[in-house]
Amino acid sequence: MNAPFFKYGMFGDEMSLVVAFAIGIGFGFFLERAGFGKARLLAAQFYFRDLRVLKVMFTAIITAMVGSFLLARFGLLDLSLVYLTPTFLVPQIVGGLILGFGFIIGGYCPGTSCVSAATGRVDGMVYLAGMIGGLVGFAEFYPRIAHLVKLTPLGQVTLAEQFNIPYGLLVFAVVLMALGAFVAAEWAEGRFGGKTPDADSLLAPARRFTPVRKFAAVLAVLGLVAAFAGSPYRTALARVDTRQLALDAGTKADHVMPAELADWLVEGRNDFLVVDVREPAEFAAYHIPGALNVPLAALTPDFARRNERIIFYSDGGIHAAQAWFLIRALGFPSVYMLFGGLEEWKDTVLFPAAPLADASAKDRIDFARRSAVAKYFGGTPRTGTDATPVAPAATLPKLALPPPTAAPAGPNSVPAPKKKKKEGC
Amino acid sequence: MNPYWAGFGLGLVLLASFVIMGRGLGASGAFTTAVATTVHAVAPGHAEGNAFYAEYLGDGTTNPLKDWLVFEVLGVFVGGFLSGALANRLQITIEKGPRISNPRRLLFAAFGGALMGIGAKLALGCTSGQALTGGALLNVGSWAFMLCVFGGAYGLAWFLRRAWL
Repeated sequence: MNAPFFKYGMFGDEMSLVVAFAIGIGFGFFLERAGFGKARLLAAQFYFRDLRVLKVMFTAIITAMVGSFLLARFGLLDLSLVYLTPTFLVPQIVGGLILGFGFIIGGYCPGTSCVSAATGRVDGMVYLAGMIGGLVGFAEFYPRIAHLVKLTPLGQVTLAEQFNIPYGLLVFAVVLMALGAFVAAEWAEGRFGGKTPDADSLLAPARRFTPVRKFAAVLAVLGLVAAFAGSPYRTALARVDTRQLALDAGTKADHVMPAELADWLVEGRNDFLVVDVREPAEFAAYHIPGALNVPLAALTPDFARRNERIIFYSDGGIHAAQAWFLIRALGFPSVYMLFGGLEEWKDTVLFPAAPLADASAKDRIDFARRSAVAKYFGGTPRTGTDATPVAPAATLPKLALPPPTAAPAGPNSVPAPKKKKKEGC
Repeated sequence: MNPYWAGFGLGLVLLASFVIMGRGLGASGAFTTAVATTVHAVAPGHAEGNAFYAEYLGDGTTNPLKDWLVFEVLGVFVGGFLSGALANRLQITIEKGPRISNPRRLLFAAFGGALMGIGAKLALGCTSGQALTGGALLNVGSWAFMLCVFGGAYGLAWFLRRAWL
């Protein structure tokens, strides 16, 4: 299973909007079921009368956290492809405080106000109108505060990375912390809200193993499993489905012809990544325009995004084939190699040979087209009846293109696919 | 519904979003897109000249309202309505404490909403996109944000007790 499904191209943008609507319905449904359409119930959190905001939020957080960790750990979900909002510490601290003030003054947060308005609450509707006003105000002031919004950037980083704690251990700690907070919350509700624990609470008087207690126990056990499960990210240790690899190689689903690649580059397609696995010096002398240089030894599991379409090439093709195998084995689904490597690229793209004198009209038209492509890449078509051998490297076109890209150090230096809009909230 | 079960349901929806889409939930972003689109329709030059609006308008090749968060939030309205309808909780009313007048409550709601709009844009997300989603992903900024939301609300709660208690 290659999840996230959308990022592995299992459905397109249009379908993603249908998914968005369905997920939204689930989100709205459970917010309403939690009682979050009512401002007074939400505000009760901050007077220790009814701590359901804490209970709902942290149950949701630990459910999704434990679930995503375990799915990732057992290879069903690629956690590195789940979007992480970048951290800008100071703006997020200040924004959080302002949001907290807005929460206790207005009684809602953006998501809960939608549910409140949808169930007929006038205060929820007015709150939404106020929020739209706030957004317009923020936008109008934005040019003056733009630099403040980007203060203290830490990048896309998890607490596990930031504090160098094993991810699974942190998962277990957060589960225990949340369960502890639930018990404390129920105690506080009794103390300040005059509520007596009922059958649905962890502190229920009966010694029975109630469903809620079972649920808490399951979360604790899964958290404990997570603590000892190791890293959720895919590592260099790969399991290889040799049969699948052999099938791909045998059915020619593993390579791209130089002429095809040339056409894509001329068309300006940017939905793939061309990777040159030769040494930097060779790369500097000549490379296919737009290619990245990643020598074989630098092909780590995070050298590119996993959902990227990758085309490897080397001089002849042996190193590209090795790279293809390594990267396929690491679970990248769309990996190809350039058939015949740079040799073939020279023969067919840069210096295409003229057809023989008795060639058909179709061949001649084809040659005219390939000559144009060759000139585009700075090559010269070979004319004359007996095609001269391919010119030596000295006559390779000088790169009139931007300076060669250095080998990427990690996933962040890989050019991001063109993103039209923000992915975050 | 028992808050633990509601939270479990919410957590499964969030997990489904991770697995199917590779992203979490959100709310405030949809309203920003709607605002940017509206401003663009009224004053195109103004919206395009503003870096903030421009970011939500995309590159002009697609309608900005054909956006994931916009459709998700439409779903939130429908889901909230369905749940309320099924439980007989649909009611035109104002949620408030017993000691506050209606106009004052609505004024507070509008002001709180405005603060929320500003805070959410400053923090790159709201309780859905940051606290819930980022919380589950152990995002550094989201946890700092979440602590501050609770801190801010608890800090001001005492001064607003007449509004709620």
